[in-house]
Parts: sequence; structure tokens; C-alpha cells
Amino acid sequence: MTAPATKDPVEQAKAAIEYCYDQGWTDGLPVVPATAADVAACLATTPHPGDEIIGSQPHLSRSVTVAQAAANAIMAGCKPEYFPVVLAAWQAVMQERSSRGAWQSTSGPAPLIVVNGPVRTRLAINYAGGAFGPGFRANATIARAIGLIVRNGYGVRPQELEQATQGLPGRWSVCLGENEEMSPWEPLSVVGGVPAGVDAVSAVLIRTVEYIDNRSTDSAEAVLTDFADTLGRMGAYVGGPHSSGGLVLGPEHAQLLGNAGYSRTDVQEWLFEHAVRDPADMVAAGKGEHVGDGPFHMLPSAQAIPIIVAGAANAAMSMVFRPFGWAAWAGRSVPVEWKEQ
Amino acid sequence: MFETIIDPTVGPAESTETGGLTLAPRPERLAGLRLGLLANTKRNAEQFLADVGRELADRYGIVPVVSVRKPNIVETAPAELMAELTEQCDIVVAGVGDCGSCSASAVADGILLEQAGIPAAVIVSDAFTVSADAMAGLRNAPGYTYVTTPHPVANLTAEGVQARAAQAVPAIVALLTEPVMAAATSA
Repeated sequence: MTAPATKDPVEQAKAAIEYCYDQGWTDGLPVVPATAADVAACLATTPHPGDEIIGSQPHLSRSVTVAQAAANAIMAGCKPEYFPVVLAAWQAVMQERSSRGAWQSTSGPAPLIVVNGPVRTRLAINYAGGAFGPGFRANATIARAIGLIVRNGYGVRPQELEQATQGLPGRWSVCLGENEEMSPWEPLSVVGGVPAGVDAVSAVLIRTVEYIDNRSTDSAEAVLTDFADTLGRMGAYVGGPHSSGGLVLGPEHAQLLGNAGYSRTDVQEWLFEHAVRDPADMVAAGKGEHVGDGPFHMLPSAQAIPIIVAGAANAAMSMVFRPFGWAAWAGRSVPVEWKEQ
Repeated sequence: MFETIIDPTVGPAESTETGGLTLAPRPERLAGLRLGLLANTKRNAEQFLADVGRELADRYGIVPVVSVRKPNIVETAPAELMAELTEQCDIVVAGVGDCGSCSASAVADGILLEQAGIPAAVIVSDAFTVSADAMAGLRNAPGYTYVTTPHPVANLTAEGVQARAAQAVPAIVALLTEPVMAAATSA
């Protein structure tokens, strides 16, 4: 790379970005070139040393260090103070049963990253209107950092080791805060074993999200019926014992259910019981190999239907998300570790 | 100009495999050789290999002695399965690489077998040659040759699998008798 002929710092910055493209380091969007000073600034936020290995893919002979994650986080556009959340998100994604071969899969799954705790306010991680994005730096760049670590750290690139058939809108961009303030229930991270009020990250790999728009009833059961119908959709079933599904409830739906006396567990149990298909439907769709005689439960268990609350209380809509493979959320949240100041 | 930009692909300083792959010596004749079949958990993989084994026995006098299924499509076969194959077999057929992860890992299995001195033929569906070749590159075996079969395999009937297996046999025999490191061999 020769130096640009101009001394204009803007032209020089653009040349540096092009240099990163030329190296094959980007996900298609421009990256922020990372320097040793950037990496040092990230390392100053975490108790983990730069040379600590935080992930390995033995079958690819690749491992990733904390310092390498820091460089990729900067490239994704993170501020150094986001880095402890990136590390917790990485750990949350890696501990998922479905993550081992996920990055090469034809399914092309995306991490759904959920942040709980005061860090949401401190780092401006959006949990209200437009929580799925775009428009919020912390949300967008923390999720993107995970994607760049997979690409640059593990060397898994589309149409090479990554074999996603169609990919997924929003891959590497889904990070949201839980709207704890408007949720009728305990934070997701409490379900995941971390005390309330502690910064924590949870993650599940998903294949898509699809909306449920239901603003026409004040009946909790009517809304649950609507959810169960989408959760029971046959297209999401990939063979084997069951499909998979979870919900990101908008605050209005969450409060309707909470006011009707439903706990999170009650909602999970109701949905498990009602997200069923007639075996004849499954046979008609060529998916009857594992169905029996009675109604076929599309979801693995009540517990394996993660329920999250996010968004604004300005319309009664929610999202169903589809965990990758047959794995539900592992059910363990990861506390964010900050360096003692 | 941009020397200060950190290369985000540089990982920990650990030993990586060096040097190219030397294929196992090929046998002069196939009759009487002990055959191992290394399947993955993809639909029709075990049936495909069983049909290949039967064809090789009928047409070439090869003796199928071991048939195993590895538990994980992403990773290479665990050490105990590899030991079973390398101790009890003279040649191995592995596959079917019919997904993003398992095509790459099937090639890795084949390379490990060659390194252990066992001639191996890996079967990959032709939709996944890119990930298979990428794994060969990662394992310092660029040009590693395997047998392709048309995609898809998972939705074939039993008769379809049998026909496809028979179609693949000449290329499998060629790979087991003539060591080549070039492009994929089509079946």
C-alpha cells in the first residue's frame, strides 16, 4: 500500500479504511482501523490479560485471545469501555451448546445478545424503542464485534468455511437491553443465575425473528393464542424431536400478561401446551417422521422457551425468535467483569 | 503507511502444523484389504457408506471389517474411533460431507488417516467443495483430493443412495490406489 498523495487527514483516514478492506478484514461495512493504543485502552477495562485465550476451534486449529478480541471490537466501532460487555457476550455465545459448528452451518445463525443491569444506562445500550436496531452505537457495535472475532479470529468467512445458504438479515447486529423498567418479571439474567442489579449478558443463537402484531384484544389468552400459532409454525421445524422458539415481548404484551396474573413461568407453560400441531399437518408437509398419534408439541419444553422484554410501550407487538438447531438457550447468563479502578 | 494498524487475524503464538501432507503409500492391489467405513450423523451417510462397502466387496474383493459413526459432525473423529480404524483397517472410506461443517471435518478426517499411514477416500457432496478445500488449506494439504457426489444426499431414497454409491465407486477406487493431490475427483 503506497501512501496517499494527499496530506488531507480525511483522505488518509479513507485510505486506512480501504487498506482494511484490501486485507479481507471487514464484514462488508467499513471498519475502524485498530492500533496498539486502542487495544491497550480496551485491556485497561478488563481484569483479563491480553494473551488469555477466550475461544478455540480445534478442528480449525484456531484460537482467539483477549487482545485479538479487543482489536476486532475497536474495528467494529466499539468504544473501549464497551469491551467488558463484548467479552461477556463472547463468553455467553461460546457457552451455547449450538455454537460449536454454528459459524460454518448452512443455517447461518446469529447471536441474539441480551444485556441486563445498570450497564444498559451507563453505556447507552438501548432497551426501549427500536431495541432490535439500528441507530444505537453500543447495540450495533457490540454485536458486530462478535461477528468480526468469528471472521478474523476463527477465519470463518462467507462462501469459504462459512456455508450459510441464505444468511440472515441482522446477523451480527442483534444486541438489545432488556426493558427491566417495564417488565412485570425479574430480569432475564436472574433466570440465568446472576443476581438482580448485576451487569450480565445472555445469548442464544437464532435463525430469524418474526413479528406478532396484536393490538386488538385485552385478553391475555387471546394474545397467547396468537403467540402459540406462530411458535407452532411448521417451517421452523427442522426434523427430529421438536422445533424451537422464544419471545421478545413488547412491554404492552408483557404487561397485559403480568396484569392478568401470569408469571414468566406461567407464560412458558401455556405456550408449551398450546404450540402443538396435528400430526396430519406434519405428514402433509413431509415432516411426519417423528410425530406420534396425539398433538405434536413443537417446542422442547416450557423451560426452553426464553421470554425477554424489550421495546417501547407504544404498540402491542412482540417478536418470536428461533433458536438454531434443536438447542434452546443454555439458561446461564454471564456477569460482566470490570477492572477494579 | 499503515504499519500501526493491528492485524486482527493474528492469534496466540502457538505451534501450527507445518509442511505439506504426504499421502499414505497406496496398495498394489485391493483384493483382501480390510476396509473401514467412517460415517457422520448426516441423513443417509451410513447407508451411503454401507452401499459403497458392499460394492467394494463384490467388485474388488475388499473385506469390510469396521463400520463406525462419529458423534459430532463438526469435529474430527475422536481418538478411539481413529485408533479402531488405523489398527484394524488397511483402507478407509469416510463421509458423507453434506453440510457446511461436516464436509470440512470429513476432509480433516481423511487427512488425519493419511498422516497415520492409511489410504483414505473422503466423499463430499458437490455443493460443499469450497469448505472442503478450505479445510484442506487449513491442514496444510492444499489440493487434497476427495470424491464428490451430486448434492443433495439427505433426501435420497434407499434406491437413490444405492445408485449414487455405485456411481462413486470408480473414483473411490482410483483414490485408494493412485495417490493424487490435485482437484476434486468427480463421481
